[in-house]
Amino acid sequence: MNGLERVMTALRIQEPDRVPHFERIANRVREGILPGASEEDIVEHLDLDGIRFIDRTHSWSYEMVDEGKRIKRDQWGGLVRYTSEDNPVPMEPAIKSETDLDTYKLPDPDEEWRYEHLKRLVKRFKGERAIVVGVTDIFALGRENFLGDVGYFRAMVKNPAFIDRANEFLLDYQLRYMRNCIEMGVDVFWVNGDWAMTERPMVSRQFTERFLAPPLKKLVDYAHSRGVPVIKHTDGNIWPIYDTIIDAGVDGLHPIDPMAGMDIGEAKATFGDKVCLCGNVSCAFSLVSGTEEEVREETREVIRKAGKGGGLICMSSNSIHSGVNPKNYLAMVKAIREFGQYPLSLD
Amino acid sequence: MVNLEELCQAVVSGDIDVAEALTKKAIESKVTIGDILNRGLVPGLRQVGELFEKGEYYLPELIVSGDAVAKALEHLEPLMGQEGASYMGKYLIGTVQGDVHDLGKNIVIMMLRGNGWEVTDLGVDVSPEEFCSAVSTSNCDILGMSSLLTMTMTNAARTIESLKAAGLRDRVKVMVGGAPTTSEWAEKIGADAHAKDGPTAAIVAARLVGKS
Repeated sequence: MNGLERVMTALRIQEPDRVPHFERIANRVREGILPGASEEDIVEHLDLDGIRFIDRTHSWSYEMVDEGKRIKRDQWGGLVRYTSEDNPVPMEPAIKSETDLDTYKLPDPDEEWRYEHLKRLVKRFKGERAIVVGVTDIFALGRENFLGDVGYFRAMVKNPAFIDRANEFLLDYQLRYMRNCIEMGVDVFWVNGDWAMTERPMVSRQFTERFLAPPLKKLVDYAHSRGVPVIKHTDGNIWPIYDTIIDAGVDGLHPIDPMAGMDIGEAKATFGDKVCLCGNVSCAFSLVSGTEEEVREETREVIRKAGKGGGLICMSSNSIHSGVNPKNYLAMVKAIREFGQYPLSLD
Repeated sequence: MVNLEELCQAVVSGDIDVAEALTKKAIESKVTIGDILNRGLVPGLRQVGELFEKGEYYLPELIVSGDAVAKALEHLEPLMGQEGASYMGKYLIGTVQGDVHDLGKNIVIMMLRGNGWEVTDLGVDVSPEEFCSAVSTSNCDILGMSSLLTMTMTNAARTIESLKAAGLRDRVKVMVGGAPTTSEWAEKIGADAHAKDGPTAAIVAARLVGKS
């Protein structure tokens, strides 16, 4: 099997030849492994099974507002500030009141330049490794970029119609973006955007069912209508609401957050027959500050607990961020190859 | 006569208009600021905290309750310092260097202000030097540091070291919090206390200054 076949087989909850693996890998870690390498080079160098393409950080235009403070205006019209990880974190939303929607001009998802990077990935990897394209969750876009956290949460209680109206804009954009990605050759959609915090979901089950799940289902239904599977990412403790995500029809769930007490063995037993589990070697602890042997052991445990019968893509618990020790990441990749050959024999 | 229990319930239900109307009426009726806080807003926020703790309230409910409290405080804060209306103390707060998340910090601020704290918000991405400078000039009782990222937690520890190096550590109590933080970690880096969320922060802060 090649990487693409491995990932697709796992997403169908079947056994590939070995447990698949791919990651988003920060530049600092890449430098520690293969100096000067691009993310694509590292994917080939380590023979990873897929490559992730992040919509928000790679493909959107940003207008510089304050260079010293690293503040930019994003394509939605709000302000974002960059962290030391080069992740844009929202500062000021695009839509401050409902009347702003009356004159709001949606960015154009059909602009060619958005897909230049994806085209390169398709040219280099199509048919060999899974091309996994990020689509930001409608809830996350609405909450972070469009209405802002406070505005969004307030509207959930005080003005639900405002959110419904905002969602129409965002869905229109994202569905056209997904259509374009499909036409370019995407293999898997990765719907990023957290629904939960470490201790609990961000909103009640009632609000999850009312506001979060329906737009996710629309994204998933569209992807499926075009034959493309979907992995949903959310950090945090999703035990109280995991079924709402699965009922939306997703094919994979990432990362089964160990920091939030999500045990991947329990997840396997509870819903591992319905969704492919993607995770969950800790990038908060072992990959950052553990020994290579600890990483090896933890990776083995993840595969032992969740690999049986397929339906596992072994990944970190978020990403290979700049704090990860490159040697530890290499130990994880090596351990997946060592322990992840089907049929598994780890018990 | 103003029923402060109704003000308390307006906070719990996040009813901004009622919270404002009752606060104005209470001030006009010469109810002391201390009573408006201690019999209206504070018990309201306490109930909100309890509902959050029990898993009945989530972030949206915290936000709208905070809105109700903020509206009431617009009318109360100009009167603080008058008879019967002293602050619990001075609280400096910021998100640590490298981290620009502020939702959690802002919920903590809402809870503190509603509980009668005078809060100075240093904002996000605050360096150890900026924290030290603010502590040296503010005469604050507590310094709170928020970190949402595992990678930036270490900057809370660096700030505590900087406070020690500048001879400021004994002048202020230090609280830390944020999604990836734990009480064990707080103890390890030499903080005085840890709060896992906004409602807890108000309780812990009161305890730190002996006013719980």
